[in-house]
Amino acid sequence: MNTNPDEATLALWLDDELTGKDLASFEAWASSQPEHMAAREETRRWRKLIASAIPSSEEPPYPEFFNSRIAHGIREQAPKPALIEPQPAIWKSWFMPMAACAGMVLTFWIGAKSQSQKFPVINVAGAPKAIPVQQIVYTPESGVNAELFASAHSSSMVIVLNGVAAIPDSMDFSATTYIPQEREFDSTAGNPSNPAEETH
Amino acid sequence: MNNPSGKASNIGQEPDGSRVMGDPEDDFRLVALAQKGDMRAYDELVTRHRGKIFAMIRNMIHQEADAWDISQEVFIKAWHALPRFEAKARFSTWLYRIAHNSVYDWTRKRKIETVGELNDEIFERERIDSASFTTPSGGETPDQSMAQGELRLKIQAALDKLSPEHREVVLLKDVQGLSYKEIAEAMSSTLGTVMSRLYYARQKLQTLLKDEYESR
Repeated sequence: MNTNPDEATLALWLDDELTGKDLASFEAWASSQPEHMAAREETRRWRKLIASAIPSSEEPPYPEFFNSRIAHGIREQAPKPALIEPQPAIWKSWFMPMAACAGMVLTFWIGAKSQSQKFPVINVAGAPKAIPVQQIVYTPESGVNAELFASAHSSSMVIVLNGVAAIPDSMDFSATTYIPQEREFDSTAGNPSNPAEETH
Repeated sequence: MNNPSGKASNIGQEPDGSRVMGDPEDDFRLVALAQKGDMRAYDELVTRHRGKIFAMIRNMIHQEADAWDISQEVFIKAWHALPRFEAKARFSTWLYRIAHNSVYDWTRKRKIETVGELNDEIFERERIDSASFTTPSGGETPDQSMAQGELRLKIQAALDKLSPEHREVVLLKDVQGLSYKEIAEAMSSTLGTVMSRLYYARQKLQTLLKDEYESR
């Protein structure tokens, strides 16, 4: 090597990073350059000084715990297997609404059918067609039967109660009803009283 | 701990009790096993490299508890990134790169969190913490040990005065012994930048440590 080397090669040589042919060639040139040889010695001395004072490796405190925390961290951050929900069968997508509609239609038809057979028509002489009331009418006394006669034509309704005792004239109907009384109330209730007014 | 290699491990012990990094070839073999999900192989890798990574991070941030956490984070990140590791570089260099990113993330986050707060490190910088810096190495007399401890304190104090980039390049080169190329990879930088940073960092350190440096 007759000419001065580039800075990168010089830096590599100073830090003992050149090898093989490159090193041999550089050494041949540097042997006649005492300032470069001195610079390399300085660099070596410097590296030794720093390396002797600052350890390149230090065990972390609680090394086994250190490792176990890493293992724990890895496990914790591992992607959880996604919950795979079973895909509904394709036929269900159209069958289920159709089945629901059919069910509704059937229910409606059965309801309409049974409604039309619910009340048998009874003919009463000179009276409009009557519809007997189902025996679920509330009767306060045993032995009392209730019959309902309704006429859609005249928009009227008659309820016949058989077995009810005669009502005496002296009966006070007002006792059987609730008539709200006008109630007195204190308009100041709930409001804080004024102590100043009370004292006067 | 069991050795997943099934043969004699070449892991040794350093004077401070930590394990030295193993053979890079052996690292690659363990990496290959870990890439297949072998947690024991990865645990072995962690054991091999934790000392260097922890020391590097601690020297960068000077906080043991945070260095402990960040070092773990580095290994957890490395595990997740392991499928992308192609063995073009040494496993240790790759770890230094993850450590570099983690330290810078931590620094950035800390800067945001501490805006307007009093930085108590200003007061701690010059404080002598004998417990943290005097890890005796084998064969040293107490006087030598104390002298090394003091030298370390002085070097640490000088390193603190460098920018994080300059400090990191000195630690990687002069403490960890990485090559320029490896430092460039670890710091995501160019060879020229690394050379320039190291040159100026050394110049500044030698000026700061003039008395120490000249007396030796």
